[in-house]
Amino acid sequence: MASGSLAMGSDASQLVWQRRRTALKRNLSAYAFILPFLVLFITFNVIPFFWALGLSTLKGDLVDPVKPFVGIQNFINLTHDSITLTVFKNSIQYVVMVVPTAVLTALALAFLIGNRLVRFKGFFRGVVYFPLLASAAASAQIWSYLLAPRFGLVNYLFKLLGLPEIYWLSDPRVALLAILLVEWWRGIGFHVVLFLAAMLGVPVELQEAARIDGANSWQIATRITIPLMRPVILFSVVMGTIWAFQLFDTVFVLTNGGPVHSTATMVWYVYNYAFRYGQIGMAAAMGVVLLAIIMPISFVQMRVLGRTD
Amino acid sequence: MLAEKHGRTGREIGRIAQAVIVYALLALVCVVMLGPFLFIFATSFKETYTLISIPPRIIPERFVWTNYLYILQELPFATWFLNSVLVALAVTLGTLFVDALAAFAFAKKQFWGRDILFGLMLATVMIPGALLLVPSFLITNKLHLINSYGGLVIPSIGGVLGVFLLRQFMQTLPTELDDAARIDGCSEFGVFWRVVMPLCAPALGTLAIVTFSGQWNALLWPLVVINNKKLYTLPQGLALLRSEFQVNYGITSAAAFLSVLPLMIVFLFLQRYFMEGLTVGALKG
Repeated sequence: MASGSLAMGSDASQLVWQRRRTALKRNLSAYAFILPFLVLFITFNVIPFFWALGLSTLKGDLVDPVKPFVGIQNFINLTHDSITLTVFKNSIQYVVMVVPTAVLTALALAFLIGNRLVRFKGFFRGVVYFPLLASAAASAQIWSYLLAPRFGLVNYLFKLLGLPEIYWLSDPRVALLAILLVEWWRGIGFHVVLFLAAMLGVPVELQEAARIDGANSWQIATRITIPLMRPVILFSVVMGTIWAFQLFDTVFVLTNGGPVHSTATMVWYVYNYAFRYGQIGMAAAMGVVLLAIIMPISFVQMRVLGRTD
Repeated sequence: MLAEKHGRTGREIGRIAQAVIVYALLALVCVVMLGPFLFIFATSFKETYTLISIPPRIIPERFVWTNYLYILQELPFATWFLNSVLVALAVTLGTLFVDALAAFAFAKKQFWGRDILFGLMLATVMIPGALLLVPSFLITNKLHLINSYGGLVIPSIGGVLGVFLLRQFMQTLPTELDDAARIDGCSEFGVFWRVVMPLCAPALGTLAIVTFSGQWNALLWPLVVINNKKLYTLPQGLALLRSEFQVNYGITSAAAFLSVLPLMIVFLFLQRYFMEGLTVGALKG
């Protein structure tokens, strides 16, 4: 094809024209390949994004044909509505509790499984990963029985240990803690698997050299292994934070935000205000707030990933 | 001589003690992580009146099938299960195909706006799904896909991170094979389908596992687009059971156990892909 055009093209402009045509063809072929993806991406990501920003300035429910423009009124409402304040408080409380808990316990578990004495590391890694296979709905079902008052297994163990009975899911003071417990159980495997992989990446010579120099296991862990795992730990913290701010499924099935909004989260708010209470504008405004929180954190995440790649 | 021998046995005793502690802790980890699954498995065979006995029984007094019979005969559990299988399979196949097509262009072709487009796509990873929930619902509604398989499947197909993963993988493949195929008269799609796709099997496997398990466990989107009980997926059905049959833990345990079983079986055989998919799935957010 190209040689044919050369033979004909005594004329330079014809040659340029020919090149443009092949370039156009190449571009069209490339765009044909990305077209299916692009159509779905624009329909269900790009358009909804800008639409959501627009909705956050409107007032109305899902079926209202006309939704009056209210400017930033929705955002102002978010700052003095008692439910939203509870939602923000819950979300922040939850993130502050769950992220350090998950990362520290995962580090401990990774060191336990990664211990030189342990054989069948792959098996134990599989064990901690296992709860990740369960949907939040399934794990909520499992734990609603385990955490039940009186006949629940957890309260029974508490009784054996001489601890007071706890109404995990109906006492507003501990319900968020119960959600944290369930989510910890379901999600901890993610951090442990990452940490184990990072630990195996730390050169054994460094640890052996330190041991010969008289360092004990604690010193080797805190001075050599953990500092070398820092990028992965940072990744873990960032991911844990992003997920924690988007907590929904477990709350929806286990407590549905109750009792008295003590487990209501930001995504719970979006879902309920849009699809239960018919206040799309407020739901969208909460979504925008979530975006404003997640975006900077994600930005850090991309920077971290960029460095480790 | 003697002292040295003493020292060695002392060290050995210390080592054994350490091993005992380590394995005891690992046993505890196994109980905490696997115990709840074994417990609901046992519970699913219990008779209703034994469910609230104090102290709680772990092993059933008598094994009965009534809970399983109930969810299969009285509840549309089999339908929910089938819906989950169909939807998760359709989304997985669709995502693999659509993402791989796009990844092929991004990895192997030069075109106008390629890098800008790719950068913009990656930037959207930062957007929380909850923000898109309402407009996605409104669009799905405009397309008349509410309460249909299409509404569950089509909006869930394709993902930026799948494209990213496959592009990274395709960039490492040698281009000589593509060129050889082109000289042999292969079309561009033929190069993609017959040359590049087979070589991408490991990356496709990882993406398939991530997509399938994510879809199998998804709750929020089905909750929004489906309100016909015949079209529920498993997580949605489980959530419904919780609200309607709160007391009967035998039934909920049987349903929860059956819903987790398929992924457990897949996990036993394809553990590697789950582990590799961890970071990809993580990014989906």
